[in-house]
Amino acid sequence: MRTGVYFCQVDDQSQTDIDAIAKYSANLPEVETVQNLGLRPDISAENLSEHLKTNLLDRVVIAGDMPGYFKPVFTKAMALSGGDLDEIRLASFREHGIQNGNSLDRAKAIVACAAYGVPFSLAAVPGGNPVNHATLVIGAGIAGIQASLEIANAGKQVYLVEQSGTIGGHMAMFDKTFPTLDCAACILTPKMVDVGQHDMINLMTRSKVVAVRGKPGAYKVKIRQKARRVDIKSCVACGECVNPCPVNVDSEFDAGISKRKAIYIPFPQAVPNAYLVDEAHCRYVLTNGEKCGVCLRKCPKDCIHLDEEDSTIDIEVGNIVLATGYDLLDASKIDQYGYGKYPNVLTSLEFERLTNASGSTGGRIVTKVRKYNKKKKQDEWVFSPEGLPPRNVAIIHCVGSRSSKYNAYCSRVCCMYSLKFAHLLKEKIPKVNVYEFYIDMRAFGKGYEEFAERIRQEGTFVIRGHSADVSMKGDRMIVRGEDIFNDKLVEFNVDMVILAVGLIPAPGTEELSRMLGVQKDTDGWFSELDYNGNPTDTDKGGIYVAGMCQAPKDIPDTVAQASAVAAGVLKSHTSGQGIGSMSSLTLSDIEGKAKIIHTL
Amino acid sequence: MAIRVNPSFIDVLDRYGAEDVQLCYQCGDCSTVCPHADEVHKFPRKSMRQMQMGLEARIETTLEPWLCYYCGQCSEQCPRDADPGETMMSLRRWLISRYDVTGLAKHFFKSKTKELLWVGLIALLTGAFLVLYGVSNGNFGVYDGEGAFLPSDFIHSFDLTVGGIMGAFLLLHALRMWYFTMIKGVEYPVPWWLYFKEILEFPIHFFTQKRYAECDDKHREKVHMPWLVHLGLALGYVTMLILVMVFIVPLQSGPEIKWSVHIFGYLASIGLLVGTVYFIRNRFKKAYIQYKKSHSTDWIFVILLFFIVISGILQHIFHRTGLTEWANATYVIHLMVVVPWLLRMPFTKWAHIVYRPLAMYFAAIKKSAYERQQGRIDSLSVTIR
Repeated sequence: MRTGVYFCQVDDQSQTDIDAIAKYSANLPEVETVQNLGLRPDISAENLSEHLKTNLLDRVVIAGDMPGYFKPVFTKAMALSGGDLDEIRLASFREHGIQNGNSLDRAKAIVACAAYGVPFSLAAVPGGNPVNHATLVIGAGIAGIQASLEIANAGKQVYLVEQSGTIGGHMAMFDKTFPTLDCAACILTPKMVDVGQHDMINLMTRSKVVAVRGKPGAYKVKIRQKARRVDIKSCVACGECVNPCPVNVDSEFDAGISKRKAIYIPFPQAVPNAYLVDEAHCRYVLTNGEKCGVCLRKCPKDCIHLDEEDSTIDIEVGNIVLATGYDLLDASKIDQYGYGKYPNVLTSLEFERLTNASGSTGGRIVTKVRKYNKKKKQDEWVFSPEGLPPRNVAIIHCVGSRSSKYNAYCSRVCCMYSLKFAHLLKEKIPKVNVYEFYIDMRAFGKGYEEFAERIRQEGTFVIRGHSADVSMKGDRMIVRGEDIFNDKLVEFNVDMVILAVGLIPAPGTEELSRMLGVQKDTDGWFSELDYNGNPTDTDKGGIYVAGMCQAPKDIPDTVAQASAVAAGVLKSHTSGQGIGSMSSLTLSDIEGKAKIIHTL
Repeated sequence: MAIRVNPSFIDVLDRYGAEDVQLCYQCGDCSTVCPHADEVHKFPRKSMRQMQMGLEARIETTLEPWLCYYCGQCSEQCPRDADPGETMMSLRRWLISRYDVTGLAKHFFKSKTKELLWVGLIALLTGAFLVLYGVSNGNFGVYDGEGAFLPSDFIHSFDLTVGGIMGAFLLLHALRMWYFTMIKGVEYPVPWWLYFKEILEFPIHFFTQKRYAECDDKHREKVHMPWLVHLGLALGYVTMLILVMVFIVPLQSGPEIKWSVHIFGYLASIGLLVGTVYFIRNRFKKAYIQYKKSHSTDWIFVILLFFIVISGILQHIFHRTGLTEWANATYVIHLMVVVPWLLRMPFTKWAHIVYRPLAMYFAAIKKSAYERQQGRIDSLSVTIR
């Protein structure tokens, strides 16, 4: 079949070496002519069909970063010259994850496959390595939990590694989920209990992956587990140890709005349901056993071992699932909102804990009250059940998101949870005024638009315009903004400001990416192999991404992606083809395979 | 009323310095932080939107660009780096070219070669004329009195001619500005007596530039330095203009110093010298956000002014120290810069010395009219109820 290869680029920033690929493709069998049409060429179908006719071409390969862009004109030309329209093949670099001129060989392979008329995904199948059937899941938020359960329920061994003292992640902190307003804990805790009791899941809390060796299908992983200093098996979570503990620390689980002791359980439904000792603050541990130790005397079961030491565990797994989640951008960096300066400016996560029935105020939404701290000998602002409910609340969207200074990307969930906050406020405080300052309302999911409409109906003031300024006038907080649709500059006295802070990758993402050799994108999230066609795999064989660590996404998407990852893991167990890295495939491998399929 | 849209308006403004207008996604942060935006004049967001939509005819009738003193807080705050402050600056440039009837301003803003050629041509013509006049009527060695190279009464009439041309153009442009903004650009009736009621606004803003002082970002410094220097520069310039146009004869006589006249000249020179040096330095160092981007006309503006001040001072010193030939030579050079500078004024940035207080004056009138109208609507709705 006489083939012509045409190169047309769309992106002028792409650094793909077209000349090198063109030279390579000219040597492919059956390729008669290679044309580099350059950047966004202005092609006329008539000239093109003349070219097809003079070269007697039967097959046309359009190669470039987005060749589909030029397909219509080639189709027209092919029709004019009387050729077979099915023989227009696209060699799309962008679709197969080629950016910034990396992996020239893969680009060549894509063109070769198109020239042979073989789909790239058929020819380029990494594989060959036998697969260990155990799986490591890093991160036990909703993504990690879902993936672990799916794999374990299929009867395969799962090691679930979690850095904190309990599984559950951020979702355990939430009160309600949007748009259904289901109780988050009611969905999550049964799954957490399942994980805790599952025979096939080996749960390791307070643990961290410190080294990974080996190849796809057979990874040797070293895990460092911090001592819990409380025996999980014998602890019955009676809580006798808590009261005597003299140390007070900001609670991580309560997003810092309440205090916990050095010996604590993150929340009552934690899995494993046992206390743990925070060695960074425990007076006994810090003084090497010279001081304190009151909890030891109080424990009725003798299950506290303050001298327990950290341990290292070595495991061998075939697949690794990354589910490391996200973190909030530090809102105090964005100084115009006064976070950290004014007491009643909260981040979204802090409000989430405030409104949660298991939070420090028992779910009552109140403003902070000034209390005298005896130890520090100064007043400080704290949440307490006797605080007054706010009468006016401003919710500011896009704090640090969609901004050239902080995160260029949209964090995707903020619009919806902000609307949810408006609902919760209206539900709990009947006469409250809620002002939502938004730039664009991104209600993209199933039932989301209806939810947004419902919030508007409830009487929330939804203001199109971003507030850039929170200030204090005396003891009143003032939020200023522009109400664009009403064409007015507005200024509101408010008692509370909630910032819909943007999301950033979890702190360990960088380290893991280096350890595993998984690519990150420019924003710091893990890169998937192919955004459209393969959103769960990574460039490295046997390593998958699930949930927020790939990109911001809501809970339904996270759960769906986690289940999809489980399918990928189980496929590698049963397909019998083994696994390998896409990045380790060589040009000759792919070309050889394409040739075989071609001759068949 | 239908408005004609110019879809390529953004591309037009690109030449005037507004490069990033299309980046704006209308969050309104800029209008929120702007110390000058109020109920009637909401900017810069609204101006950005009008530009994106190509509402050339609407922008032509707005006062907003003149109400902005470019403190740069909006550009600092902008999450899209769309640079609203610089955009307002570019709109001012564009408006100057719109008020201009001759079309010269457009050429100046779009091409620095054209502007430099024009300045050079006028300078050469002036030089040639002055030298020819001096050689035919006087002696190069005499500065003042009988047989002077450039006698002061001749300079006086020469100044008045140049100033008259400049004034005529400036008046014409101000009239056009009034027509655009106060006739075409108001949606509610403006009673004539409001022009008298608010008349004080013009001299107040002209002599204090108090809105520039309000631009101060309170976190940074006690006195807003750009305001102080800008005020000094503007007042120095006005003083010098009056001295040259009216008191040129006593100013030029000498060699003894006439303190009653010269003291004003010295003060004005200090204001001008400090101002030009300060602005040139800031534009080099990009000290404040408003100096980050400099249009070619900004550079020509400060550098020409600097030359005028230096040559003026040198000429004064040479005259007082008895170096008559040197004094005459620097005087010719001085006038060679002054004349194109003055003739250029109605077509370039310096015209804002008139447009800006005029805009404050018009804005006050518009605001009064708006409030009057709102009051009427409110009372109307009360009676209906």
